[in-house]
Amino acid sequence: MALDGPRTRPSEPPAADGPPFEGDQVLSCGRLLSRAWEQARDAVPAADPHALSCPHCREAAEGLAAVSAAARALRAETAPGLLALAARVMDIVRAEVRRGRLLPLSGPGRKPRIAESAAAKVLRRAADTVPGAWAATCRLVPVGAGTGVRVTMTLAAALDQPLPERVRQVRRTVLHSAGQDLGMAVTAVDIAVVDVLEPEPEPEPEPFRRPGLPDGRGT
Amino acid sequence: MFERTVPTPPEPGLPGRDLPDGLLAARAAEGDEDSFAVLVQRHGRPLLALARCMLGDPQDAEEAVQDAFVSAWRRLPEYRHGAEFRTWMHRITVNRCLTMRRHRPPPLPLDAVAERAAKDAWSQPARSAEQDAATAALSRALDGLDAGQRICWILREVQGLSYKEISHVTRSSEQTVRGRLFRARRSLQEAMSPWR
Repeated sequence: MALDGPRTRPSEPPAADGPPFEGDQVLSCGRLLSRAWEQARDAVPAADPHALSCPHCREAAEGLAAVSAAARALRAETAPGLLALAARVMDIVRAEVRRGRLLPLSGPGRKPRIAESAAAKVLRRAADTVPGAWAATCRLVPVGAGTGVRVTMTLAAALDQPLPERVRQVRRTVLHSAGQDLGMAVTAVDIAVVDVLEPEPEPEPEPFRRPGLPDGRGT
Repeated sequence: MFERTVPTPPEPGLPGRDLPDGLLAARAAEGDEDSFAVLVQRHGRPLLALARCMLGDPQDAEEAVQDAFVSAWRRLPEYRHGAEFRTWMHRITVNRCLTMRRHRPPPLPLDAVAERAAKDAWSQPARSAEQDAATAALSRALDGLDAGQRICWILREVQGLSYKEISHVTRSSEQTVRGRLFRARRSLQEAMSPWR
């Protein structure tokens, strides 16, 4: 299907409207119907003075009212199965957990070991306790034949204080946690800042939590 | 009989619940299930809405979204952050829905679709019978659209994605997206004309 005849009112440069789509038509104001709909449904309001004042564009937009109302109803539909769905997904995920390699701990006795994913979780959590720092990836690699482990971590950080100091703080905290919480002999912590985030707002006062449990702070 | 449904509350105490998607996806890629749980919670509802629109049937939709999340968990180690997690997840879900549509038995007769849509409506206590009928008509009209047009329309009007995001999800140009969206609107407008 072609346009409804040639443009009779080329008051706008044709390029502004882009190539017409099959079934498109020119409104009495010279605009394409497709453009009027895009303005009405997809553009920032008030971005286009013409669309605001033009009765033809408004009429075209109103033609979509019934579709839009039904779409709103679709958007508002509740999803009763969502919680159960999330639980099923996480059951499967936990059954397929990726533990990574086993890493040596430096404790006494017959060389205890810990899975990389478990150690990474603890070290990420330690990094997250530094205000304005959030751990992203955390890889651990054994060094040499002994019990040494090298940590490579990427961070997102806020810029409200110089990055070098923040990175030093994270390194100190990670080293401390590795020794204290895991009993792991970390030889080096390599840190790369890969993203910048806004500093978090002041946290709400929270009830006291026992140390060692997930603190629920979320960061 | 009438189950009361409430919006999913964010699970308190789940670590990382305020973190951006990219960070959570990076952690989940290394096997951190807690971070993945936050992503499931955050994106489950819109993806379920997407699958419901594409498949019509709530059970099929749940299955599609479950499969999509499990597939995402398995593929996260290879996920290279070329696209936002949300866009990536939409693509996986859309593809899953398309596969399910291809493999399922022939579509129900139209009355059955309308009846099913009306029956589903028990969970929308505030909606009038007329609204239910309009929504059922829209679902029917959507079902009759060409797949590409249907996907573009759902991603735009139900999911609120930008043209750019839709073009990433559907791997097509923004111009193609605009064309499909226009034709979808055109057909839906015609189908919905009795409700004007």
